[in-house]
Amino acid sequence: MNPRLLVSSVSILALLLAGATPAIAHGERNQEPFLRMRTAHWYDVTWSADQVKVNDEIEIRGRLHIFSDWPKHLFELKTVYLNLGANGPVFVKSATYLGDTPMMQSTHLEYGKEYEFRIVAKARTPGRHHVHPMLNVGGAGPLLGPGKWIEVTGNAADFVFPLKTLDGITIPNLETWQLGNVFRVHAYWLVLAFAWLGWWFRGGPSLLSRFRVLETGREETLFNNADRIAAAALVVLALFSVAYGMISTNSKYPRTSALQGGRVRVFPLPDSPDQVIVRHQKGVYQVPGRSLQLTLKVTNRTPRPVRLGEFTAANLRFVNRALPAAVAGIPANYPEDLLTRTGLVVTPDDPIAPGETREIKVEAADAAWETERLASLMGNPDSSYGAVLFFFDSQGKRTVSEVSGPAIPVFTTL
Amino acid sequence: MARPKPASRNFERIADWMLLAVMFWTIAVSFKNTEVLTVGDWEMWVDWKDREWWPLLYPLICISFPAISQAIFWKHFRLPIGATFAVMGLMLTTWTSLFLGHIGWTRFPLTLVWGATLIPGALLLDGILLLTANPVVTAIAGGALFSIVFYPANWPILAPFRLVVEHLGQLATVADVVGYTFTRTSMPEYLRIIERGTLRTFGENPAVVSALFSGFLSVIMYGIWFTIGLKLSNLPRMKNAYSRYMGLAA
Repeated sequence: MNPRLLVSSVSILALLLAGATPAIAHGERNQEPFLRMRTAHWYDVTWSADQVKVNDEIEIRGRLHIFSDWPKHLFELKTVYLNLGANGPVFVKSATYLGDTPMMQSTHLEYGKEYEFRIVAKARTPGRHHVHPMLNVGGAGPLLGPGKWIEVTGNAADFVFPLKTLDGITIPNLETWQLGNVFRVHAYWLVLAFAWLGWWFRGGPSLLSRFRVLETGREETLFNNADRIAAAALVVLALFSVAYGMISTNSKYPRTSALQGGRVRVFPLPDSPDQVIVRHQKGVYQVPGRSLQLTLKVTNRTPRPVRLGEFTAANLRFVNRALPAAVAGIPANYPEDLLTRTGLVVTPDDPIAPGETREIKVEAADAAWETERLASLMGNPDSSYGAVLFFFDSQGKRTVSEVSGPAIPVFTTL
Repeated sequence: MARPKPASRNFERIADWMLLAVMFWTIAVSFKNTEVLTVGDWEMWVDWKDREWWPLLYPLICISFPAISQAIFWKHFRLPIGATFAVMGLMLTTWTSLFLGHIGWTRFPLTLVWGATLIPGALLLDGILLLTANPVVTAIAGGALFSIVFYPANWPILAPFRLVVEHLGQLATVADVVGYTFTRTSMPEYLRIIERGTLRTFGENPAVVSALFSGFLSVIMYGIWFTIGLKLSNLPRMKNAYSRYMGLAA
């Protein structure tokens, strides 16, 4: 090979590799905005710890709002599975619940309803991991909730996940259960396979010489009685081994069962009698200002005056900083990247009286529309946003509403 | 047999090993790709290895390359090793993929991703081909046995994962708990095609019916793939310019 070409190739490869960094994301910004804004809204999400050791557990809990204006032109909501979003099994699931129902199996959720979720996850791999609650949706894929960086310390080799069977057999660690048996069975059959191949290749492969013999029509010289006896012995031994393995295993483990794959039924939280009805009037996304500006018609059907405190979409929280009850809803350890700096501007911002219908203007402006790749909703087939709104009364009681509608892009400053 | 001269015997031995290596990797990689793209999930995950679809589909699809390989080895070399040869290739690529991909890269535990063995069925196919020297009888007896023995041959590995536990207030098998516990973001539970269909109405253990049905279909599948193997290996032949050095002709 030409030395100059070799040096050039190695140099280019080294330059390419020098800039490579470990991938730490798992695609939450890559999903289309309509998937993040008009499907599942996660809120009140809390993580019980920021740092844990291997084998320690964290609890992620919160609420899940299934959007009424689900993008049905693409898929219907049929089957869902509550999952943990992380970079592989760095955390394992000890328990997952929707309401009080364990979520080992999949289920069905209803449009426009709310559910409480809880995920108990056990740390397995040391490192810094981005951990989300997640909903796998048949036909849509994974829908990620808000993610938080969790630091796991300790030694991966210390991880254990014990279990006890109904027969009273103790499984010390699910990660290593019966691996010796797996290797033993495979090794037994590999030995037989090597023995069979070795029988025919004991003097070398002889492919070309056998080919030559076949070409000259002297096939009978290629086999002898020893070959036939070896083949008969192999067949008998294989059948006997299979039968023996089956019978001895059944006597060792007399009580086994089928894989469990049914669907579980979960029930949503009861609808609140107090509702604030929000209707979209006009929506503008100002591209230069990275600002979503909405005109909404709000009808207060609660017995108390309310103010708009928060607009949340695609896990981004735009909080009305002028409303203390809304600010109080932000936990101290909430991920900063999901809290917008400029917050939410509501005009007029005085309380909406019970029974009153009022038109308000809402501005959610932040660079996060771009950095979270939500501005690309303008390229979606229906160019619509979706969000959950939190209204608060003077006692701090919260009412959850949803709103959606088209957003028209404006490419020049208004 | 026309023996080549000693000087050319070494060359022939090298050529034999090279040919064998090329055949091994070609078959192994093609076999693994086909398996992954068709029945990969049943092979890959412990909580997919059910009593209905795993014993039905996995050996049925995987008889293809053993049959092709048998056709090539039998037609050109009269060697009854094709099925074992192909399955050994699959085993090598499977365990390489397990250790480098599933364990080394994604850190799944081996209890979740161990692979099944097809060696017992392959040994039976090869043995029967030599004893009968007849591809039709091999298809009927060997093809059927290839699939029928698949489930019982793997039962010693699988049974400890079918023990019954109570987890989160529900009845589950150890395999269910392994699959549930070790997080797979792109493999939600509802994707599992397990125990679906009306086969469960036939007796207590549908694995027996599945295995027998798979055995029946494998007879046909073996025949199809053996024929394809014969056709594939029947490549246009050029005039051998070196035939006299190989002791073939004057």
